[in-house]
Amino acid sequence: MFVGVDIGGTFTDFVLSRDGGLWIHKIPSTPAAPAQAMVAGLAALSGGDLAAVRRVSHGSTVATNAILERKGAPTALITTAGFGDLLAIGRQNRPHLYALQPQLPPPLIPRRWCYEVPERLDHAGNVLTPLDLPALDRVLDDLATQDIESVAVCFLYSYRNPVHEEMVRARILERQLLPPSQIALSCEVLPEFREVERASTVALEAYVRPVMSRYLQRLEMELPPRCTLRIMKSDGGVMSARRARQQAIHTALSGPAAGVIGAFYLAEQAGHRQIITIDMGGTSTDVSLCPGRLTRSAQSEIDGLPLRTRLLDIATIGAGGGSIARVDAGGALRVGPESAGADPGPVAYGLGGQQVTVTDANVLLGRLDPAHFLGGAMALHLPPARAALAHLAQEMGCSVEEAALGVVDVANANIDRAVRRVSVARGHDPRDFTLFPFGGAGPMHACEVAERLDIPRILVPRYPGVLCAFGLLMADVVLDYGRSVLHTIEPATEAELQARLQQRIEQMIAQAQDDLLAEGIDREHMAFAGLADMRYQGQSYELTIPFSQQLRADFCARHAASYGHEMPERAVEVVNLRLEATGWVEKPTLVPQETVESDGAVARLGDRRAVCGDGEQRLALYDRQRLQPGARFSGPALVLQMDSTLFIPPRWAASVDGYHNVILERRT
Amino acid sequence: MSVDAISLAVFNSLFASIAEEMGATLQRASFSPNIKERLDLSCALFDGQARMVAQAAHIPVHLGSMPASVASARQSFDTFRPGDVLVLNDPYRGGTHLPDVTMVSPVFVGTGEPLFFVASRAHHADVGGMAPGSLPLSTEIYQEGLIIPPLKLAEEGRRNEGVLALITANSRAPAERLGDLEAQLAAHRLGERRLQALVKAHGASRVLEHAAALIAYARRMTEAVIAAIPPGTYRFEDALEGDGQREERIPICVAVSVSAGRMTVDFSGSAPQVAGNLNAVEPIVRSATWYCIRLLAEDDVPVNHGCFEPVTVVVPPHSLLSPDFPAAVAAGNMETSQRIVDVVLGALAQALPERIPAASQGTMNNVTFGGLQNGQPFVYYETIGGGHGGGPLGDGLSGRHSHMTNTRNTPVEALEHSLPVRVVESRLRYGSGGAGRCRGGDGIRRTFEFLTPATVTVNSERRRYGPYGLHGGEPGQPGCNRLLRQGVETVLGSKATLQVSAGDRLVIETPGGGGWGKKDRPGGHEPRSLPG
Repeated sequence: MFVGVDIGGTFTDFVLSRDGGLWIHKIPSTPAAPAQAMVAGLAALSGGDLAAVRRVSHGSTVATNAILERKGAPTALITTAGFGDLLAIGRQNRPHLYALQPQLPPPLIPRRWCYEVPERLDHAGNVLTPLDLPALDRVLDDLATQDIESVAVCFLYSYRNPVHEEMVRARILERQLLPPSQIALSCEVLPEFREVERASTVALEAYVRPVMSRYLQRLEMELPPRCTLRIMKSDGGVMSARRARQQAIHTALSGPAAGVIGAFYLAEQAGHRQIITIDMGGTSTDVSLCPGRLTRSAQSEIDGLPLRTRLLDIATIGAGGGSIARVDAGGALRVGPESAGADPGPVAYGLGGQQVTVTDANVLLGRLDPAHFLGGAMALHLPPARAALAHLAQEMGCSVEEAALGVVDVANANIDRAVRRVSVARGHDPRDFTLFPFGGAGPMHACEVAERLDIPRILVPRYPGVLCAFGLLMADVVLDYGRSVLHTIEPATEAELQARLQQRIEQMIAQAQDDLLAEGIDREHMAFAGLADMRYQGQSYELTIPFSQQLRADFCARHAASYGHEMPERAVEVVNLRLEATGWVEKPTLVPQETVESDGAVARLGDRRAVCGDGEQRLALYDRQRLQPGARFSGPALVLQMDSTLFIPPRWAASVDGYHNVILERRT
Repeated sequence: MSVDAISLAVFNSLFASIAEEMGATLQRASFSPNIKERLDLSCALFDGQARMVAQAAHIPVHLGSMPASVASARQSFDTFRPGDVLVLNDPYRGGTHLPDVTMVSPVFVGTGEPLFFVASRAHHADVGGMAPGSLPLSTEIYQEGLIIPPLKLAEEGRRNEGVLALITANSRAPAERLGDLEAQLAAHRLGERRLQALVKAHGASRVLEHAAALIAYARRMTEAVIAAIPPGTYRFEDALEGDGQREERIPICVAVSVSAGRMTVDFSGSAPQVAGNLNAVEPIVRSATWYCIRLLAEDDVPVNHGCFEPVTVVVPPHSLLSPDFPAAVAAGNMETSQRIVDVVLGALAQALPERIPAASQGTMNNVTFGGLQNGQPFVYYETIGGGHGGGPLGDGLSGRHSHMTNTRNTPVEALEHSLPVRVVESRLRYGSGGAGRCRGGDGIRRTFEFLTPATVTVNSERRRYGPYGLHGGEPGQPGCNRLLRQGVETVLGSKATLQVSAGDRLVIETPGGGGWGKKDRPGGHEPRSLPG
């Protein structure tokens, strides 16, 4: 049996696949020792027979938290003489344009542990100044007296010629200062040009690697020996625990990835190829666009530190159920990014929250049913929420209901803007997509967000709250290879250059085949996609296109499609070559159930009054558990389940498909 | 339905996202590193009366200097037709300095007058003139490059190839110019489409009603910021050091008066117009002034016409801050704007002593060079960060840009790949920040070694007078520009233009920030480990 495990701050979710069926399980997390809840859950799911668990895929926040809390390994950086402040200066821009006194988060590596060594290459990789070995030894002498657990090495142009970085590693090993796993070289972690981003990425890797390694070691000891343990990466693929010990930083932005993977496969199996996901939780909403495939990029940062590992293209905004609403000095309603979080949380939780949140507005509007919120585990108090909203309404000069509708409307407008950022701004029309909401609050807001964007169709999964664990179960092994090449395509030598690049791609494929075999993937289940980051000469920003035998022509066409113009007479550069190697993992095939036309009456729980934008209406309540494939009903309605509430305004028709997804369509 | 707190927020988001998307398009499709990597660009939406409704300003120096361009474009042409795009860069007719090329285009919905205008501005790396990079030590504007009065770059959707050819022919990097102009045109097409879609979805009257409401909203937000400043008149004076012709003290004086939700910022007493390139046209003074107000706002304020209504800016005629044609203005945008911020914040520090930090480096340290490489011309422009002032939140940042610019540096590995230059060193200058309870941040030392002959121009400030400290904090150390040639070191002035040979080194040391509060520990930061 295969299991996907998502360890969250509050709950650890499991999705298990066995004999063509899926089971879900949810237990409280054990934040001090995350493995504990995981092993307990696995034991429960397997009826005590842990050996039956053949594969566990798991999302880990170990690297992320180590960075955010600055609890990684004490790390040193060794860099080219003259550039010891590479990380401190960064790209010299300040984080907030209009801060009276801008602040930066504390550095990962203190200045005294940023060492310089004389050496220098030129941009072609030729040695201008050989590595100064006596100076290196003096650095290592000092380093040995410090409490340093991990070393990052980043020399200029090491992506062209790794010789000096490798010499540093050899010398550290020769002097037995650190084991190889605690030395990270930039030419291996990120062999790409742009020294600040490369140095920052290798420093992050060195910083989290020992922490990740210790965590995985403990976890593996608890699991049965034959069980394959895989870890989610930021790009939505998984990798073996062994590999994660060497590429720990690839997990740092994996938090929101698993849900998108789960959504993508679930929607694909149900026949929806193009989706926009909105994962709305308590404090933020993650938005991602999947135009028939997963979209990835390499531009990101974590806590203000540049990070250049591939990741799923996800836009995050500060709009969630806990986002706080207020009227600003100019008289406009603002919602978020400040959040009441889970504690004290919304006013309606009765835990001391005083400020109106999106959840409070939904409670007042009658869109959340106190009797069914979190399966009745959490009480919702309407009177204090109403009192707080009355205060806000007074400031706004409107009724309490109008104020609550406004809070929801402004939150939806913020999500709308984020969706446009990933769709319209990149040339996609949202009307061609199916909206896929998940997370606790996603289904509550989906219909109104869809109306704003003219999205005609929504897919609400059966278990919006455990989609991440499902994504972990479905995720393929994905390995990335990239290398800066910086070649200019000249007409005279185009054919020759194509051949050389082809050869580089083939070398990468050969390497990837070996690595995938080591990941336990057999040859029939491998796929390789070559990519090229390209630009017109003089541009400093690349477009990534599939590798082909006519890179130049393909790039010009893509540039025209993306920006409305091309420059056929202008020289074109290939900046990076990339390979995305996928190892398909065995996935449960979801078997659709036969649909039987019904009106969903067996799932009816009665009704309640709620405000829907055009006045108060009577909402039909449905129990999600009892909605059967083939059921059809219309808004206004609420579909209730343990961890989420689906709000269906008038104008929307709902049907349950064979996979138990609720499909909503706008009535015309 | 009329305007309310909710629809205001929703339309604010809608307009802002259009300006944002225009900026994203321009950034991604452009060529100049200034635009693409360093975000020296802005996009804005205007209503039919040329009042700014929304602006996505990626660089503060563009805040509020766009309306003059649209006003000038409307003055120059009586009629607009769908598909027209105007281009201009003349600082005396709606521009700032010549490298900032601005486009303005009408947006029609149906027939009649334009319902909106969209505008974009981008810093092009070279528009001709006497020095590569078009930021010369000039004495009249004719030396600074091609002057473009408001012209139709496209008429009814047809590009005027003659105008394009004229602009590109005057640049040392013609292909790059063409690419950047194309990128601006692409941003305009997107802005037009998005505004038309907005009108289609909500109706023209509702959209226009909210455009006006957002202007009133921004005015109220600005009034609220001003209302939080104790009423009174606060004066401050600081100075520039040299206009590229002479090293001399060039004072900038300000009297900030606050009363009844209005602010008057009076620069009377500032230096008369100078012979060199430091003159700043009035829109720049407005940008720098409003930037200071924006710093005091707790929330994002939509940048539009309403922001400027409660603020009166007074500039003396024929002065450094209101020069007469054809005075040189190349560096006014970059250097004078920084000092305007320093004096306005210096004055506000008397009103709000617990909020305002000490002076940051107060210069952009502009370095341009160009020449020939394998027979092809090349041009390079870069600005360099420095120390931030210490302040109530703690020490100032080190080695970062401050105030009117926030452009990123060019990666060494990108620079050396494309140009015949080597970066030998890029380090912090430990101890250059001013001492104080909260120390100023440190400046940077960046050393270039040239591999071929080139013409180099440096436009910098704070080489003699360091950035001021506050409340007993000491000033930051001034910067220094030096040339190393065959073992001989020459100290250059704050402005310099020179011919360099292969092997010559240019060392730029940028200023540290001022300290804040009485000193109880020494300036500078913990030293880094250095080899043996």
